Amino acid sequence: MVVWSNLLTIAGEVIIPSGWSALLLTVLLTPAAAVVLVTLTHRKRIAEAVTAVSVLLIVFQVLGLVAGVIDDRQLSAYGELLYLDALGALILIPIAGVGFVAALYSVNYMGRQYERGIVDDRHIVRYYQGFNGFMLTMLLVPLANNMGLMWVAIEATTLVSVFMIMLYTTEGAIEAAWKYLMIATVGLSLALFGIVLFSYANTSAVPSSSGMDWTSMVANSGLLNSGVVKVAFVFVLVGLGTKAGLAPMHTWLPDAHGEAPTPVSALLSGVLLNCAIYGVLRFYIITSGTVGTAFPGELLTLLGLLSMGIAAASIYFQKDMKRLLAYSSVEHMGIVSIAVAFGGFLGLFAALLHIINHAIAKPLMFFASGTVSQRYGTKTMVEIKGIVKVMPVTGTLLLLGGLAIAGMPPFNIFLSEFLVMTAGFGTGQFLVTSVMIILLVVVFAGFLRHLVPMVFGNPASGKAVPTEKGTGTDGMGAFAVVPMLILAALVIVLGFYIPQPLQTLIRDATQVFAQGAASK
Amino acid sequence: MQIPQPDIVALSSVALLVSTFGVVVRRSFAGWLSAYRYQSIVLAGSTGLIAYATGVWEIYAAAVLTLLVKAIVIPRLLVRVTEGVNDEFKIEANPYVSIRLSVLISALLVALSYALVQEILPSAGLDGLAAAAYLPVSLSLFFIGLFVMVSRRMALNQVVGLLIIENGLFLFTTALTNGVSLIIEVGILADILVGVMISSLLLLRMNQTFDTLDIGRLEKLKDD
Repeated sequence: MVVWSNLLTIAGEVIIPSGWSALLLTVLLTPAAAVVLVTLTHRKRIAEAVTAVSVLLIVFQVLGLVAGVIDDRQLSAYGELLYLDALGALILIPIAGVGFVAALYSVNYMGRQYERGIVDDRHIVRYYQGFNGFMLTMLLVPLANNMGLMWVAIEATTLVSVFMIMLYTTEGAIEAAWKYLMIATVGLSLALFGIVLFSYANTSAVPSSSGMDWTSMVANSGLLNSGVVKVAFVFVLVGLGTKAGLAPMHTWLPDAHGEAPTPVSALLSGVLLNCAIYGVLRFYIITSGTVGTAFPGELLTLLGLLSMGIAAASIYFQKDMKRLLAYSSVEHMGIVSIAVAFGGFLGLFAALLHIINHAIAKPLMFFASGTVSQRYGTKTMVEIKGIVKVMPVTGTLLLLGGLAIAGMPPFNIFLSEFLVMTAGFGTGQFLVTSVMIILLVVVFAGFLRHLVPMVFGNPASGKAVPTEKGTGTDGMGAFAVVPMLILAALVIVLGFYIPQPLQTLIRDATQVFAQGAASK
Repeated sequence: MQIPQPDIVALSSVALLVSTFGVVVRRSFAGWLSAYRYQSIVLAGSTGLIAYATGVWEIYAAAVLTLLVKAIVIPRLLVRVTEGVNDEFKIEANPYVSIRLSVLISALLVALSYALVQEILPSAGLDGLAAAAYLPVSLSLFFIGLFVMVSRRMALNQVVGLLIIENGLFLFTTALTNGVSLIIEVGILADILVGVMISSLLLLRMNQTFDTLDIGRLEKLKDD
């Protein structure tokens, strides 16, 4: 009997890792179980409840993982198949956080689409299957140590999100889904070429190494063949850059983010882009260990400036509300790339903080604009007037989010953008930083140009006539307003002060970048 | 262990390239599919060859999976799904780049692939690989697949282009790393399979909603 219980304990430890590391497994099992439950029960109400519970559990587990990473620097399970360091933990936070608010908002938003007969029971079940599957694939990205597995996860995010965009059968949704599927898949196959080349460089430099593992590649980064690594980085940057929405590979992004159901747009913009940028950063670290930061840095700056430039022009002349926000994501991914290229402690700190800040402000904007467009029945900005009179709460939040996303002090985006500029001037990149400032001014002007008439105009002067008058929660229900209030509170608070644990985590994450530099 | 007859590698390379050109020159969906099926069978054989040369059992498993998924499941799935589609949309009557010019460009892409492999991969490091000869072929598959995707109007042709890209990628990965771990191979295959299912669903939707599979007519979403 004793032997049996011992054997069981050993088997148990093999299957379930001990300590904080156990969460690496359970955080993936939670959304997987949710997919199964939603599929088996096939009821709207149950699907909503299961999803809400699942994302809540994910939030708690991610908090546990973050605490574990702050304590132990890194967690791993199954011989480093699953691996989490501060950089990965930093990406987990928006996945869990935005996932949580998006699930709450979905109850209201999809519920309304349901009442209007735009979607039926089958669609709702499919939506929540997709939602939980999307969470699962995104969570796997920062947890995979094997870069091949990370690639599989990123490719899977494409498939799940295409599936969710396809929920609507409008011409726009089908066109967007097709473009997204084709462009992202081709882009990602380029990325896999790059990843395989990195792995080849690793095994040919150190034959005993476990080729595709990030920990192995970064440890050996000083020994890799610099020619192969340069080519490989270009492939990875173009490939994952496509998925991250960096110009000129961004063409699918405004379509996909514009046509997806609004909670999905928030996840695509606020979270999925980070997952792709995260992949780029992993390979940036390895490359900088082999050839220094100058080569990958210049490439990132180039794509970053191009993204900001194209986004600024498109934002200024934009007509569609959701496409405006999509282009704004292109702009912010550009800022993150340039900040990483500035480098140094401040540049990296600013880049990582900006990822978090963007992941808070962008979903707020998508939720607010989704609520507005449901009420007005259009996404065309010139047709919408006087939101603040029709829906005081949503209108205020839209204005607040818009000012924040455009970089107005004292909100959170301003803080990280200011740090990026400081890093730029501090590292002597005067030209790049000046161009950035000019482009930021254009974006700011563009946002004001669209927002002010929408928020303050006379409701009767707009083409689109708002339906039913609202009360306390603008008549949209608590599930629509509470997620926005949570995000708005964070937008304001993080503009003044960064909580200590977050500071520690970002500081630790900048240390991860030092691993590449150290082996040089 | 060395591959018994070096000629087998050369022969299978030729077979892979011929099947890729089959997709380029043919105008009908049935033609592309049979070329793709033929290519996948040769690819499975090549993978088996690499497995034999390296002695890694996981590559044998990958070869069997390739045969099952790419040579049997995917072509059948695509034929089933497109049964209801009007024949008019299964034929590439008016590609952006004419078939004749396409063949010429594809040939140039093959030459480019051979040059690229010599350029980026230091030849010394390739001696340890059992099947370095497959590398330029795999790049050719990749580039030609990409070219097919951008030069054709029909959505079905784009799907086939994507599948050729994936085949090239698979061969490149297996030849260069002597097989990554089986989990990853299975993951990649699963991604391809699900990708084909989703694109077939999209094709059907497109057929119903737009009444065409000509992607040149998808032009609703624009910044104007």
